[in-house]
Amino acid sequence: MAQAMAHRVQRSRRRAIVNHGGLLLLFWILTAISIYPLIWLVLSSLKTSSEMFGNSWAFPEVWQWDNYVQAWNAGISRYLLSSVIVTLISTLLVVYLSAAAAYALVVLRFRGKAAIYALILGGLILPPEVALFPLFQTLTWLGIYNTYWALIIPYTAFGIPFATFLIRAYMVKIPIELSEAAAMDGAGPLWSFRNIYLPLCRPVLASAALIQSMRSWNEFIFALSFVESENVKTITIGMMSFANALRSDWSVLMAGLVISIIPVLLVFIVLQRQFIGGLTQGAVK
Amino acid sequence: MSSRIHRIVPYLFVLPPLILLAVFVYGPAFENVIFSLHSWSSINPDWEFVGLRNYRQLFANPVFWVSLSNNTLYAVISVIVQVFVALGIAAVLSAGIFRPRLNTFFRTSVFLPAILPVTVVGLLWQLIYQPSIGLIDQFLFSTGLGNLSRVWLGEEQTAIYAIILVSQWQWTGYMVALFMVAIAAIPTDLYEALEMEGATRIQQFRYVTLPGVRESTLIFTVITIFGAFKVFDIVWVMTAGGPNRASEVLGTHMYRSAFRDDVVGYSSAVATVIFVITICVGIVQLMLQRDE
Amino acid sequence: MRHHRVTALAMITLFGSAAFSVALADTTINFLHKWPEPENMAYFEPAVEAFETANPDIDVEMEAVADEPYKDKIRVLMASRQVPDVFFSWSGEFGKNFARGGRAYDITDYVYDGEWEKVFPEAALQPFKFEGRLYGVPINVDAKFMLYNTSVFEEHGIEVPETFDDLLAVCATLNEAGVVPINFGNQFPWAASHYIGEIIAKLVPNDVRTADYALTRPADELYTHTGYVEALTAFQQLNDEGCFNRGSNALTHPIARGSFLAGRGAMIYMQMVEFGRISGSPIDESGWDFFTLPAFSDGAGDPGIITGAPDGFMISSETENIDEAIQFLKFLTTPEQAKQYVDITGMTSSVKGAVTAENADERVLQGLKYLDAASGLALWLDTDMDARSTEVLLAGAQGIIGGTETPEGVMEEVRHTAKLVQQER
Repeated sequence: MAQAMAHRVQRSRRRAIVNHGGLLLLFWILTAISIYPLIWLVLSSLKTSSEMFGNSWAFPEVWQWDNYVQAWNAGISRYLLSSVIVTLISTLLVVYLSAAAAYALVVLRFRGKAAIYALILGGLILPPEVALFPLFQTLTWLGIYNTYWALIIPYTAFGIPFATFLIRAYMVKIPIELSEAAAMDGAGPLWSFRNIYLPLCRPVLASAALIQSMRSWNEFIFALSFVESENVKTITIGMMSFANALRSDWSVLMAGLVISIIPVLLVFIVLQRQFIGGLTQGAVK
Repeated sequence: MSSRIHRIVPYLFVLPPLILLAVFVYGPAFENVIFSLHSWSSINPDWEFVGLRNYRQLFANPVFWVSLSNNTLYAVISVIVQVFVALGIAAVLSAGIFRPRLNTFFRTSVFLPAILPVTVVGLLWQLIYQPSIGLIDQFLFSTGLGNLSRVWLGEEQTAIYAIILVSQWQWTGYMVALFMVAIAAIPTDLYEALEMEGATRIQQFRYVTLPGVRESTLIFTVITIFGAFKVFDIVWVMTAGGPNRASEVLGTHMYRSAFRDDVVGYSSAVATVIFVITICVGIVQLMLQRDE
Repeated sequence: MRHHRVTALAMITLFGSAAFSVALADTTINFLHKWPEPENMAYFEPAVEAFETANPDIDVEMEAVADEPYKDKIRVLMASRQVPDVFFSWSGEFGKNFARGGRAYDITDYVYDGEWEKVFPEAALQPFKFEGRLYGVPINVDAKFMLYNTSVFEEHGIEVPETFDDLLAVCATLNEAGVVPINFGNQFPWAASHYIGEIIAKLVPNDVRTADYALTRPADELYTHTGYVEALTAFQQLNDEGCFNRGSNALTHPIARGSFLAGRGAMIYMQMVEFGRISGSPIDESGWDFFTLPAFSDGAGDPGIITGAPDGFMISSETENIDEAIQFLKFLTTPEQAKQYVDITGMTSSVKGAVTAENADERVLQGLKYLDAASGLALWLDTDMDARSTEVLLAGAQGIIGGTETPEGVMEEVRHTAKLVQQER
């Protein structure tokens, strides 16, 4: 009896190990599929073009750092700078404006609140593609086509609904007494927004900022349509021009791709936990 | 006086977002519908009201139907992989089966593609799919499976699948992370109670995890469908809708009509269709989110 | 608080500096072309600098967009009403479209001033005319030829094909020997349109063809000549009988060209302006030559026609700086600049006498001779037909390669679209 029992335990443990082993293998394969293309990208960017095709799996014979010099000289820095400017400003605007709106929606009392919230939230279901051509005309009419503002303003407008939703959900958990007490002391709404709510909301503001900066950084169709000059193009579209000019020089192209992902990659590696945590605050792709 | 100011102040907080939304989100969406009833081009911008002609042309155009079915295919595959497969992966990673460090490593690795700009992803995979010299073909030929090799992005039968696959590669890890957040929100005592009763991990998944993430699953499904119908970037980078329009989606069809064929009214009609589809999906999403 | 000030300061610096630098020069002309490749910018950058040095009161803001996206970009700019003062245009329908819409400046009187027009051969100006007026200044003249690897041809005892059937036979011989007959990259299907355009020109009478392209034939006769279907069938034969490398629909032309230059193929259909890229490549050492795409024994079109066209620049009708723009174009077409252009880019300048034995390969000179001797010039099909019908034809060409479309089916769709466009015009 005891023996049989021991047998069974052993068998189930063995099965657990087998299952575990199978799962482990499966996850290693998944991981390999996820990151091997990137490793291949980095390795290939350090090879000569012919080596890259002939000897795809091996390490470079001679590390071709020159590919990076060539890619850099082809003007990637301009695109990166544009992306940084556009991302930074649109993120600041989105976070600040959304926080202000969320504050009013949660704390202040005024008529039409529900309708206004619905109006802001409604922006979530309008895909940017739909507005493409009319928006393009509006920007032209405003005279900001082909400037940073042609990206910053639409990014801000399309980013506000989600950020407001996110921040509002956090603010409703803050006890209303806090601002009521401040109001009793004669503080205005602006004061209590800045000095009570903004500091308290720091975690959610950080998430909103992260989500918005990823959106702005990776945005494609507006960047493709609303700016034209090389020195205004963001990295997503800049890399298209870069690739078109270098179609036949693959290793340099790949070096350029690596350079273009280094900034985000660095931030991701350093702030892994915050990064994943922040991005999963709301499901936005 | 001061009470009047008091009454105005709250509106000042919500005014900037409302103006931005009106001018840059709602306004253009509304204009788009007007545009779709006119015929005009960017080079020769003479307006002509044509009623529903653009829509009739649209529904008579086989490219439109190809696009629509590609979007649908995109949605179906994405839901299977990014919702159901991702849920499975998330459940395993959440169950603490692997050592914590390994667990974090797996999660981070599969998440990584999600942070890459779509241009980089598209160009990278273009190289991977390249006939004969790309990574996939090299793998097939070196393992003696050379006869399976296809011109992945160059054949009408495979191009859209090749693109959809890339999209799964990029986003599944992100969805896994989302599911892990949802699973983490399930009270652990539910698991403990079942474990006391000697339930297996699979049973725990079946009776605790699944019901626990039901609502999140619904929302993620809707978001995935939403994304699949407005997809543009990855297709534009990888094939621009080719070969022979086989990988065209509504987004690229719209873009090409406006900026290549120069039929802005027609393009606006395509945009309106995208709008109608996504608004239906979006309303479902909002309703689900409110319930939550 | 300090944070805010820093941000504000940074913003002022960022956005202000651009405005400031513009304000220094008296006049700015915006200049957009389609040669962003480093080897081409190596000419344009110093050229613009030289112009600015010679004209300190004029500032030239140059932008370049690659060939394929250029077609979208210029339309976007037209719609945005921010047309650059000087912009690139293909000749033929692509450019006529701008003239028809009143978006290009009528520069007839500037060019035909008794001096400037003598710089160009009249044949290079002709394709930039619309209703008798001139709208563009040519920068280069180009033609399409079939290049071949001489050592591969010798090795397999192949003669230069004289008819289309000979060409198919050459493909068969090469395939038997395990050599890729023609390197072909058709991911962007303008590549196929060059084959098809030239074959059409050889199978459809000139007047019918040009009237179809211009949509001036009666609606029910548009694209009905049997030569069109025959032309697509010929193209289909090239594909089905194995003339092209595998996967042409997934390869870009530069990649296909790279294979040919590396000696991995016997032939490639290539533009004269690309000849400059050959020097220093493996094929340059093993030897190369070229021939015109062979004629059909019973074609209804012009057997001696060559596909080619001048590329050039137009001036926006909305420009406020017409004199400066003209001055800039005159500068680019001076003999010295034209020589520089040929020296650096290897392109065939449209300026008479710019391409010489000193700065160009003998085969480039030979190509120019062919061009002079040709009985006619068929412009690039993808810029000579209207945009929508072209898109249909080009997609169809990819379908023919993939085996999912028939020549008849494609022409049916082209007819349908052409009628629509004609109706709406």
